[in-house]
Order: sequence, then structure tokens, then C-alpha cells
Amino acid sequence: MQTNDNNSVLSMLISIIVSFVIALTFFYGLDHLVMSMQGLPLNPDLSPAG
Amino acid sequence: MKVLLKTLGFSLALTLLFTFVTYLLPQVEGEAPVEKVVDLSSLTMDDFIALGEDLFNTKGTCTLCHKPAPLGRAPDIQGMNTVALSNERLADERYQGEAKDAAGYILESMLDPSRYVVATWGKKGTNDSESPMPAIDKPPIELSAIEMDAIIAYLQAKDGNDVTVVLPSPEDAASVASTDKKASDATALPAPATTVEEALGKYACTACHAMDSSDTLVGPGLVDIGTRLSMEDIRQSIVDPNAVIAEGFAAAMPADFATKMTVKELDMIVAYLVEKK
Amino acid sequence: MNDKRPSNQPERPSTQIRWGRLLWFALSMLLLVSGLAQAAEQDTTLDRITPIGMVQATGEPLTTKTTPDIADVDTAEPIAAPRPSRSDYPDIGVSSRAIVWILAQLHLFFAALVLAVPLFVLTIELLGVYTGDDRYDNMAYEFMKISLTGFSITAIFGGSLALALFLLYPDFMGYMMHVFGAQVLVYAILFFLESFFLYTYYYGWNAFRYGNLKWVHLSLGLMLNAAGLTIMVVANSWATFMMAPSGVNEVGAVVGNIWEIMKGPLWNPINLHRFIANIAFGGAVVGAYAAFKFLSTTDPDKRAHYDWMGYTSNFIAILAFLPLPFAGYWLMAEIYAYSQQMGITAMGGILAWLFIVQAVLIGTILLAGNFYLWAGMSRTDGSDRYKGLIKYIAVTLVVCFLIWVTPHTLILSASEISLLGGSHHHILGPLGIMPAKNVAVNLMLVVTFLSFQLYRRSDKVATVSWAPMGNALMVAIYVVAIVNIIFLGVYYGYFTNTVYKVGSSVAQVASTLVVIIAGIVIDTLMFRNAKTLPSHWGRIPDRAQYALFALPIAFTWLMGLMGYVRSSVKTHWHVYTVMKDNSPDNFIPTIAYAGNMITIVTVLFLLCVLFMFWVANLSSTRQAKPAAGGAV
Repeated sequence: MQTNDNNSVLSMLISIIVSFVIALTFFYGLDHLVMSMQGLPLNPDLSPAG
Repeated sequence: MKVLLKTLGFSLALTLLFTFVTYLLPQVEGEAPVEKVVDLSSLTMDDFIALGEDLFNTKGTCTLCHKPAPLGRAPDIQGMNTVALSNERLADERYQGEAKDAAGYILESMLDPSRYVVATWGKKGTNDSESPMPAIDKPPIELSAIEMDAIIAYLQAKDGNDVTVVLPSPEDAASVASTDKKASDATALPAPATTVEEALGKYACTACHAMDSSDTLVGPGLVDIGTRLSMEDIRQSIVDPNAVIAEGFAAAMPADFATKMTVKELDMIVAYLVEKK
Repeated sequence: MNDKRPSNQPERPSTQIRWGRLLWFALSMLLLVSGLAQAAEQDTTLDRITPIGMVQATGEPLTTKTTPDIADVDTAEPIAAPRPSRSDYPDIGVSSRAIVWILAQLHLFFAALVLAVPLFVLTIELLGVYTGDDRYDNMAYEFMKISLTGFSITAIFGGSLALALFLLYPDFMGYMMHVFGAQVLVYAILFFLESFFLYTYYYGWNAFRYGNLKWVHLSLGLMLNAAGLTIMVVANSWATFMMAPSGVNEVGAVVGNIWEIMKGPLWNPINLHRFIANIAFGGAVVGAYAAFKFLSTTDPDKRAHYDWMGYTSNFIAILAFLPLPFAGYWLMAEIYAYSQQMGITAMGGILAWLFIVQAVLIGTILLAGNFYLWAGMSRTDGSDRYKGLIKYIAVTLVVCFLIWVTPHTLILSASEISLLGGSHHHILGPLGIMPAKNVAVNLMLVVTFLSFQLYRRSDKVATVSWAPMGNALMVAIYVVAIVNIIFLGVYYGYFTNTVYKVGSSVAQVASTLVVIIAGIVIDTLMFRNAKTLPSHWGRIPDRAQYALFALPIAFTWLMGLMGYVRSSVKTHWHVYTVMKDNSPDNFIPTIAYAGNMITIVTVLFLLCVLFMFWVANLSSTRQAKPAAGGAV
């Protein structure tokens, strides 16, 4: 019972963390992609490059 | 029926709310540039004087600067007896021009404003040797000879002086019509300026703005404009000068550059100004 | 052959099923192919914006090569655009512009309505065929019924408009007739076609209701829409010719064929923009009808029906409304490409103030749409799960809305400037510029989609095993997208250079689109075979119906406003760069004057629509035979 609860909390936590990692990576990539498509490259820290 | 009244009332109230919003905004009219076609064969002197007054206030843009203190940036010629004033200027020992009478003096002042600069009204730093006024037979004002005569007639008549300019005759009309045609063709497709200097001259920017100092002529000096305004702001200031007005200045800049400049000219001027740092 | 759907006429012979569908299919393909063929004929941008007069693309040398030299023109005896003087304009004592303004706007309102209604009526009818649900068919028929008078009203206003134009602007109309020539006859023929299909479609509804005949009926609807859309694009070509003339030289003499005259640079952007906007407008107007019927009855069955009808109309209106900004962006971009001066007149000059009014109107539409969705959640039992979020959505919407309407620049007198301490207000200034507005608009769209998504979810419980993961992902996408939109706006908008500021707005829109697409995809997958909670149509507070009135009023006003802007960017030209407007009304009026005019046309439209609905209901009312005694 105890372990089961822990498991579900843990899996919940993992799915939240995984989701945020996916979303952050995706939007980070999106910013780079959209800006460079317009000829406006970004540094890895998202500041304007060049 | 009750439902009908309620819903109708709601709809009307919402409509009026939207209307109200439009009342909160600045109420400005966008006047179309007026092209007067004057029938010279039936023109009377009164018409001619009225035409002159109209030109003085509208197309000539004279009142941008020639208005009563403290707003004026040039002598208040509408508030003074222009003919008497002109005769005073002719008698001034500083006067170097060729005019012999008031009408000639006024015409000369319009064609070559720097020929005689009234004391204290010259461009800053030129010791009254150079006038801030643009030549008004040149773009962007471009008055014709007849139009300038009309203005002289108005300036003479407004204080009860005799009008000495002659009415344009129908024969003149024919010749004017042909030159007018040329002129209007020219305005339909003016030769675009190829360099920044040409463009600045064509639109008489330097009449009001010093490009190489921060001195105020009529408008602010632009020597360091690139540090104060972004490219967008500069562009806006040219095409819509009344949207943002530099602190301490009144709305004096012609608002029709947007319709006069070609895109390339505008780009050249903006690029030139944005580099001024 | 083997139609799996529940059929209303199960005994029909199976061999006959095909020909009706074939007819439908062939017609659809024919229209699709002809549309694609036309689209394929697109030239390059530079060809399409062939300069006329002073217009030229940025950085291009002044192009003169396309204009034939004067000698050629003289031998061909082309007729240049007339140059009427002020006395050539008939003076009837009231402003000619005001008359034409009112008639044109009323004509356009009704034209938009009767163009849009058959379009989504056909869609709903198809939906009814594919789901086998008779409710759809009945609703589609009811939509058709209530807008039927609209076709004649459109024609009446169109005729009056034409008469008014010929009377008040004879030189201009003479020139337009000269330029478009026989095309106006084609336009007239299209009207006959449209009327034929309209009446057969409407009056044949119950006669061709099932089986093959249903497909014949659908084909009639398709042809009705084809005729209507063709009428629209033909009429659009007149408006776009006036804004960006093509096929004529710089003095307005015709040098191209009719096709070259029609396909000016702004034609397709306007076609698309009007097409989408018409659907939103039509949906909003019939939604008001449903709301009115809902409020007027206490019968639970009728309330359920009209609640559903109102919901569907609102759904159509908002769905069509969402892509409109992008179509508007394309139109504006083409206007800038055609003439930077015209673009600046619209977005930077006096007319720019009207975009603040536009912001108020769009804000009203979004708030009303959201409010309706929130109120509609009471229809389902499962909505309690999401109700807590509504207040945050509402706050976000209001804050964003306020930022959006903060004016950018103010026309100030010198004394006002010194009072404010600068032409930008020191607090409002940073909120009034573009990056802040971009953040606000994108957040408004994101939370509106959130409202929509919550509404769609409120009657469902996901049964798929990965539902918690899906929810977590959705939450993460929302959170990161919102952070990203704010970050892009603040960082690039205020701390880097202008180029990045402009570029970042594209990334913001991309973020918004990602949220919408991800939301649709995740929900579609996650709610497959979902448990559906009971839904109670008609269980919605009365006040929610007022949102369905706010929507068409705001749409009507917005159409009036943006139509005015579109027409006014020509400033003092009848036909831009080709034919000057020398009439007494060739100036741009004050905003309040325009506001009054738009309100007048909105109220007139409201009254005409009321009449239209009243007549529609009259047909189903039958007076009881008076009793012999005369007692009534």
C-alpha cells in the first residue's frame, strides 16, 4: 500500500519532470529555428549572435 | 416583447459604447491636397486676393512659421502692415537686393529668402546672413508664379494698400496651363533623388533642421539623432511627424512626406539619419 | 454500396446509391481543379506588383519598362482616367460620401451574411449526412430559412448602391465601367445562376431529402456556393482595383486584358480575408437569432434546440475568427509590398488610431466568446473539475486587453507634452509599444484556446492509460509557451536591437500555434473512447445569451471599421495613383465622424436583420380562423 502510493507519486513526479523537459527543449529549439530562419541567429544562451 | 426590448437595448448600448471609444481618441482630419484650377478668363481681383489668402494658409504652408509671437519662428506678416514693413526693409542699409517696391520685395523674399534676412530671424550661427525659409517656388512647396502673385495681392490688400500686381490674363492662362501641365506631370512622376544630399535638398529638410549641429533652427538639430531615436522612430517622425513631437516643439513639420517621398528616398534619409551618432 | 450508417430510408435500392454521390463528387472535383488551376497561374511577386505611377518596391530602381511609351498609347487611342473638377460632382445637399458609405456598408453586411450562411449550411448538411443525425439537417434548413430574405435585401442595397454611385460619382463610375467593360455583364449572369441555385436548394430541401436525391440537393448547395463565391471575388476585384490598379498605365488607360485588371496584387489577400471574415460574421449573426429564440421561450425542448443552435453558431464564428489575424497580416504585408506609403497611411498615420478601436472590438469579441464558453460549462456535470481555472483566465484576458489598448503614441500639444514630461508617458510608454502588445495578443489567444479546450474536455473523462502523462505534457506546454512568449517579448523587445524585436514576434506566434496544435492533437488522441458525462442542452444561464448578442454587434462594428480603413487608405484617390478624388468629401474625416457613421450602419443593419428574422418566422405562423362571433 505504502509502496504503491509512493510509486504513483513518483511516477507522477517523473511524468511532470519529463513533460517539462520535453516542452523546454522543444520551445528552446523552436526559438532557435524560427529566429535563424529569419536570418537572426542566436547564441546558446539565446542572446543575439552576429 | 420584453426579450426584444432587452436584447435591443443591450445591442444598442454596446454599439454606443464602441462609438464612445472613437470620441476619446484625437479628432484629426486628413485633408486632401487641394489642387485649385482657377479659371483665369473670369478671374476678378477679389477672387485673386482670396486665392492668395487661401494659399498663404494652406498650400504655401506660410503660417507654419509666420505667426504671432511666441509661436512664430518668422516675422508675423499677417499681423503687420506688410507693405509698410516692406518699405522699411527696402530703406534698411543692410538691404542688398534688387527690389524697387514692396511687391518686388515680397516676391524676392519668396524666391530667395536669404537675400535679406530680418535682424534676429536668421539661421542660428549665421549672424542673420542666412534665412531658415525655403525658396517657395521649389519643392516641396512649389508655388507657381501666378500663385506667388496671388499671395502678394493678398498681402497688399489685407491692410488696405493698393494692389500693384496685375491680374493674370487669359493669354497667360494658356501659357500657364501648359507649364502647369508640365509641372503636374512632374509631380506625378518626379525624378527621385539619387543621393541623400539631393533628397535632403528636395524636401528642404535643412531649412528647419541643422544636420551638423544640435542647434535649433525651426526643428531640432539632428547631428546626434541616431543616438536618440531608433530607425523606426526616425521613419515615423518623417512620415507622421505629428505622432511624436520632440519636447518643446510645436507641430510644424509638413505631414505629407509620406505621400511625397518615394520609398527609396525615405530609406536613404532614414539610413543617413540613423548613422548620425 | 453497403452504407453502414443508420439510414432513414433503409429499403432504397442499393444500385441507385452511387449516381447522386458521383454527381456531388464530380462537381466538387471540378470546382477544386478550376480553383487550383487559377491559383497555379500565380506570377512572381514582382510581376504581380508591377509598378503603376510612383509605386515601386523598396530598393528597386524606378521601373518604367512596363509602361508602353506615349506614342504607342496615342495610336491605340486609350482613354485615360477622367480628371473631374469639383463642379463635376453632383451636389444633392447631403454628403455624397455618407450616402454611398451607408448603402455600400449595408450591401456588404448582407452580402457577407448570405455568402457565409450557405457555406456552413452545406457543411452542416454534410455533417448530417455522415452522422445520420437529423438534428443537423433540421438546423441547416432553419439557418437557410432565416437568411432567405437576406438575398433580396442584398440585391436591393446593391442596386441602390449602384444607382447612388452612378448619380453621385458619374465620372468615376464611367471610368470603372470603361475599365471593367463586359465583366459587369458576367456579374449579372452570375446573379441569375445564384438565384436559380438558391431557390432550388432552399425549396427543394424537403423534396430532395434522402438517398440519391440528397446528393442532388448537396450538389445544388455546392453550385450555390460556387456562384456566391464567384460573385464575391468578381466584386472584390473592383475594390482592389481601386486600391492597387493593375492592367492600366499611369494615367489610367487600359493596357491589359480583363484578367490582368482583376488580378491586382491585393485581390487574393482580400478574397481570402473576406471569405474567412464572412463565415465568422454569418455565424455570429445566426447565433444571435438562436439566442433570441432561446430567451423568448420557456419550453425546455425548444430551449435545448436553440441552445445547441447558438452553441454551434458561436463555434463557427470563433473558429473562423481565429485565423483572421493571419489573413489580415498577409493583406497588410501585400499592401506594404505594393506601396509602402499606403501601408504607412494605414498603420502609421491618422488611421492608425482606428486600430485602438479595433483592439477594443476584438477584445470584446474574445471576452464574449470566452464568457459564453465558461457559462456553457454548466451544461455538463464534469465541468467542476475546471471551474477553478476560469478566474485566472479572466484576469489574464483583462490585463492583456488593457495592455493591448494602451495607445502607443499620442498627438500632443507642446503644453501637454511638458505636463506629461515627454511624448511617451513614463509608465504607459513601455506598455504602449509593440513588444508589450505582441505579448498581450498572443497570451489572449493562448488563454482563449485554453477556455475552448476546457470546455471541450468538460463532458469527457479520458480512459487511455497515459492520460496523466498527457495532462502533464499539456500543462508543461502551456506553462513553457506562456513563459516563452513573455520572454521573447521582454528580452528581444526591450533589451536587443530592432531587427530581433521584429523577428521575435514571429517566434511568439509560432509558440501560440504550437499550443493550439498540440492541444488539438493531444486531446484528440487522449479522448478517444473517452467516457462521456451527461450533457444537458438548455442548461445555461440566460445572461450567457447576451454574449451571443455582443458577438454580432462587435463583428458588425468591426467590419464597418476595417472596411472604412481599407477604403480610406486610398486617401484622396478614387483609383490609387490613377484617378484623383476631387469631390468635396475627399478628406479623411475625424475618428468620431467615422464612429458615428459606423454606428448608423450597424443600427440600420440590426433593424434589417430583425425584419429578416421576423419575416422568416411569419411564414410558419398561421392566423386562427376568427370565430363566428367575432370575438378575438
